[in-house]
Amino acid sequence: MELEPLDNIADFERELQSALARRPAPPDLKRKIVGRLWQQASRSHRRMIWMERLAAAVILVAVAGGAAYWHHEVEKRRGEEAKQQVFTALRIANHALEQMNAQLAEHNRDAQ
Amino acid sequence: MAGDWQPDFEQLIDEHQSMVFSLALRMTGDRGLAEEIAQDVFLELDRHLNKIESPLHALLWLRRVAMSRSSDALRRRRVRRIDQWVEIDEIHGAQAEERPSPLADRVERLLATVPEPQRAALVLRYQEDLTPEEIAAALGAPLATVKSHLHRGLKLLRAKAAIHLKEYVRGT
Repeated sequence: MELEPLDNIADFERELQSALARRPAPPDLKRKIVGRLWQQASRSHRRMIWMERLAAAVILVAVAGGAAYWHHEVEKRRGEEAKQQVFTALRIANHALEQMNAQLAEHNRDAQ
Repeated sequence: MAGDWQPDFEQLIDEHQSMVFSLALRMTGDRGLAEEIAQDVFLELDRHLNKIESPLHALLWLRRVAMSRSSDALRRRRVRRIDQWVEIDEIHGAQAEERPSPLADRVERLLATVPEPQRAALVLRYQEDLTPEEIAAALGAPLATVKSHLHRGLKLLRAKAAIHLKEYVRGT
């Protein structure tokens, strides 16, 4: 064994090149990369399923809400119509009563 | 024909994992972080696979992105020199069968103490055997800057070697 300081630039560059030769990647690197890809794909698939479920739920709520609103509007319109019919009937009855009242008053006057 | 080339992701991993991992390892000095960076780089490659036009394009893309992600990781972590030395010790412990010569081992440790831009230029020059022009392209830096980094980095590394490595023996 002899002592040999690195005093030569060519030696030094050669040692540097040798020291910096590519190292082998960890043996399971490829497996981990592929595993992460699958995880991402699976996460994306799950996210897609949830988005579809959410979209379906939103559509369902919108349809149910629309139906309820439509039903409410129909009922309201029917109620309005019924109310108008009652008012009309009351007006007719009132008119008839007024006529009857007038006839009774005339009849009383004639009797006196 | 180059236009007919279809990238095979797993084949690209097989071909380039050593390069990507080694670049990240030399830049960060941290085996765990280097592995994480290598995984991220290949996942990013998968997202950009439709834009990769040829095997050479894949190689250049991976080299550039590996360097860029390593710099990002260093910026986030700001690893202190002493940490890098300790971690490189761990690396060598983990891969005893892959260890270079003791002198090369020490040269690699010293490299971890060189400033990041100079280290990047040196790693691309001596690990990847690139010309200054190719290094400039890989780092997106002006050629004069790269030449300056190479010159200063080599000078600094030699000065450190003169202090720390002069007692080392190369076997006969």
